[in-house]
Amino acid sequence: MAHLELDNISAAYGKLRVLDGIDISVGSGETVGLIGPSGSGKSTILRVLTGLLKPEAGQVRVGGEPINFDKPAEIRRLRDRAAIVFQQYNLFQNLTVLENVMIAPTKVRGRKPRDVRPEAEHLLAKVGLADKINSYPDQLSGGQQQRVAIARGLCLKPEILLLDEVTAALDPELVSEVLDTIRGLAEDGMTMLIVSHEMGFIREISARVAFMADGKVVELGSPAQIFDAPEKERTRDFVGKILRH
Amino acid sequence: MDYTFQYGQVWPYVPYLLKGAWLSLQIAFLAFCGGMLIGTACAAVKTFGSGWMRHGVNAYVVFFVNTPQLVQIYFLYFALPDMGIFLSSYMAVLLGMTLNAGAYLTEIQRAGFESRRQSEMEAAEVLGFSRWQQIRYVILPHVAKVLFPPLSNHYILMTLGTSMAAIFGVEELTGRAFNINSETFRSLEVFSIVAVIYVVVTLAASVLLALFGRFAFRAKMRVV
Repeated sequence: MAHLELDNISAAYGKLRVLDGIDISVGSGETVGLIGPSGSGKSTILRVLTGLLKPEAGQVRVGGEPINFDKPAEIRRLRDRAAIVFQQYNLFQNLTVLENVMIAPTKVRGRKPRDVRPEAEHLLAKVGLADKINSYPDQLSGGQQQRVAIARGLCLKPEILLLDEVTAALDPELVSEVLDTIRGLAEDGMTMLIVSHEMGFIREISARVAFMADGKVVELGSPAQIFDAPEKERTRDFVGKILRH
Repeated sequence: MDYTFQYGQVWPYVPYLLKGAWLSLQIAFLAFCGGMLIGTACAAVKTFGSGWMRHGVNAYVVFFVNTPQLVQIYFLYFALPDMGIFLSSYMAVLLGMTLNAGAYLTEIQRAGFESRRQSEMEAAEVLGFSRWQQIRYVILPHVAKVLFPPLSNHYILMTLGTSMAAIFGVEELTGRAFNINSETFRSLEVFSIVAVIYVVVTLAASVLLALFGRFAFRAKMRVV
């Protein structure tokens, strides 16, 4: 059974339709990559999956259970199970690194700080920031901030991790440190849906890749199929252009 | 210049002036606190309120920001009695400064409210924060940090602005300087001492506020 399923999902910003009948499933422990041109709806899928945008039609299922987006309790349940890491990190600037990671488990989930702290420190060590726990976000590089954001998401012990172009705002030399962190998570068996323009990375890490355009999934298949032998003209066109550069 | 300084004549009045400085600080503090209450409420209305409430607040702000504070206090002290409302000079000054501060602090705080980061709000939402937790842990710390420097500056300006009270006979620092000047006619000595007291008082307030801002909000403020 798929861990995460999007069944015929459509969504719009006002009158602008941005998702049009999306069908994607992600198996337990599987990594699925979402690629496509800007404005194709990749990030919007993640906004739907975190309850920031209510779908107009279709169904999202987590572990086989459908989510009713009209019920705040069900959106909370969705957010308990799926964490997102944003392109722009979205860290709380007034909190230290450790506080950023600990605040949701302690204040939202009501866990004791003394229980959460060792876990937060372990996660920060895992993403290579053990020596930065008392720093503030504005004292860190973009890559370091992004790794704090990943640790913050993981500290909620999500079943599914959603990554929204997490390297897009980083200097090229900082990209590899974030990709290494994600690679480690994939090896640990985390279920992940990754939106990225890092085609080499998507190809390497994803079990399956979905190519999107104009709010639709144009083609879904193995990395080898999507990058080496795409079936659809639109996919061939996109892959051909990016591989030329 | 054929002038002989005679600070000896004025020096005995320094304790009297310092008591006036204390009154200046009290007026500034009370007016600032009152202005903060008005400003916070009005800024909240301007940011989150309905149309007609925003129009009401806009009218208040436009009126008080675009008329001289002196005229506003004159109105309260000299015009209100014609309508049967009598205020002491102290109360007229305090009320005038409070209403004036409220208008300016409305605008300052509105800018702070609007500077809240949408990205942090979204992060808080997906992490499961309740509305109150978003305000407590995201909006207020950010707004406090952004607002502390301009609010501190306004407080310093208000401390200096209390000198206007002298015109209405309130014996704050400048008012007491008027009294000493009319007794001794040593204007240069009196007002140079008063100027030094103002500098010391406002500089001390600036340093204390800057240190507090750095400690409490990590606000980037120059201490001196």
